[in-house]
This record gives sequence, C-alpha cells and structure tokens, in this order.
Amino acid sequence: MRDYPLNNRCAFPHPDASGAGASINLVPVKDGFVFHVLGDAKTDEEALKQAIAKIAPELGGDVRKASPGQWFWVGSVDVSDGRLAEIQAALSGQFALVDQTHGRLRIVLSGTSSRTVLAKGTMVDLSADQYAIGQSAMTQIGHIGAMITRIEDDSFELIVLRSFAGSLWDELQHMAAEFH
Amino acid sequence: MSSLVKCPHCGLRPKEEFTVRGEVATPRPDAGAEEAVWFDHVYLRDNPRGEHREYWHHSGGCRRWLVLTRNTLTHETSEVVDASTLKTGGAA
Repeated sequence: MRDYPLNNRCAFPHPDASGAGASINLVPVKDGFVFHVLGDAKTDEEALKQAIAKIAPELGGDVRKASPGQWFWVGSVDVSDGRLAEIQAALSGQFALVDQTHGRLRIVLSGTSSRTVLAKGTMVDLSADQYAIGQSAMTQIGHIGAMITRIEDDSFELIVLRSFAGSLWDELQHMAAEFH
Repeated sequence: MSSLVKCPHCGLRPKEEFTVRGEVATPRPDAGAEEAVWFDHVYLRDNPRGEHREYWHHSGGCRRWLVLTRNTLTHETSEVVDASTLKTGGAA
C-alpha cells in the first residue's frame, strides 16, 4: 500500500468473494500502482518504455496505451511518495506523470468463460486470435468506461474509475451469474 | 445491430461509445463581417441529404475529437480522421 492514508482502503467490502473454482473468477487487485502518463506530440510508446527502463527499472510493470500520447503505466509493486516525485522529475520535459493509484482500480476476470462474460458488456473482439496477450483497449462495459487488457490466455484485467468500481463489480457478478 | 464507426485510434467501435457534436462549421467570419454573415455562421445549419461532415467525440474510448464524413441517407461513414489533422490542412 502507498504511504498516505487515502490509499489504504480497498474499494470492495468483501474483496475475496469471487467464484473460485468455477469457470469464472473475479478478483480485485489490491496492491501496486496505476500511473497516467501524458506525452507531448513528439513522443511515442517506445520512447516512454526506454525512459522507464532508464529511470525506474525496479518498478517494471506494463505500459498500456489509452489514447494517442496517453498511457497507463501499471505495476504490482508499491511506490513511495518520494520515489514518485523523483520519477516525475526525471520524466519531465517529454512526459507528465499523474498518480492514479487512488482513483483507478484493477479487477482481474479469469477463467474459461471470461470472454463470454465480457462479451455481454463490450463490443471489442476479445477472441484469442484477434486480441493478443498484452493488448489493451479503452472501451465501455455496459455504460461504464473501462480499460480491458488481456494479461494471460483466459485472463483479463480491467481498469475502472474507483467511483464506478462498485457498480462494475455488481454488473460483472450479474453477467457471470450463469456460470456459478 | 448498432452502427460501427472506425475510430482512427481504436478501430471499429459502436456508435454508443461516441458523443455527436454536430456539423463541422464553416470558418469563422471576420470580426467586422455583416450581421447576416454572422447570423448564418452561428444559427443556420445545412441539414444535407447525403454526405455530411460532423464532429464526433470518442467519449467512451480514446477521448479524441474526430471528424466524420457520414451519409445521412445510408448512415455509411466514409472517412474518419482525428480533428487535430484539420489544423494542418488550414480548415475549420
């Protein structure tokens, strides 16, 4: 967890309530960071990845394209305020970095039925041959904006605004009800 | 089912992900132009039968403003570009 109290509460009251063992499994990601990165007109994803590898190789994580010149940098380790400020200073000039760890939540939906569940909410084609592992798309699930990333074969990570996370969780439970 | 729009950044997406702003206006008249010219620019819209250029915002995806050429008879969208490309062309 981050080192100021705002970040210390999980948005889900019963975070472990998921259908483990069934063909669908829904789990919130409790640790790690979500950074929103904005680049100027001349930058691209390659330049960002190189800058990250140089400045903060210990954080690792994924860079997921949200829009032209905008990315979510997502990782599983915790970053202190001091370290964040250092990274922000080192990136400045080409990139602006905003901490979104407190504002955007990650949910992992996995299992053999995960595509069937997500297909009820989004029209992005998530089939294995169309949507490679590591690919992301900013889209809507029902009426809730979310980023869908394929992290493993039958496993998808959703990034959603914290204030919508409860609704999305609820909606996903309904969408997955037939597999319980 | 739903109409699909080919976003230049995100690929094919349903129209539900977009917000339509309306016609791409003609260039703004000079500050001292006739009242009638200004009235036309501010209030009068063409409502054409056929090709129409519109601003669409991909609010449910990349959140970029797009300029879309849509046929009002068939709802076919022939050309979709990012609105920032208009600046380089000197239009709008």
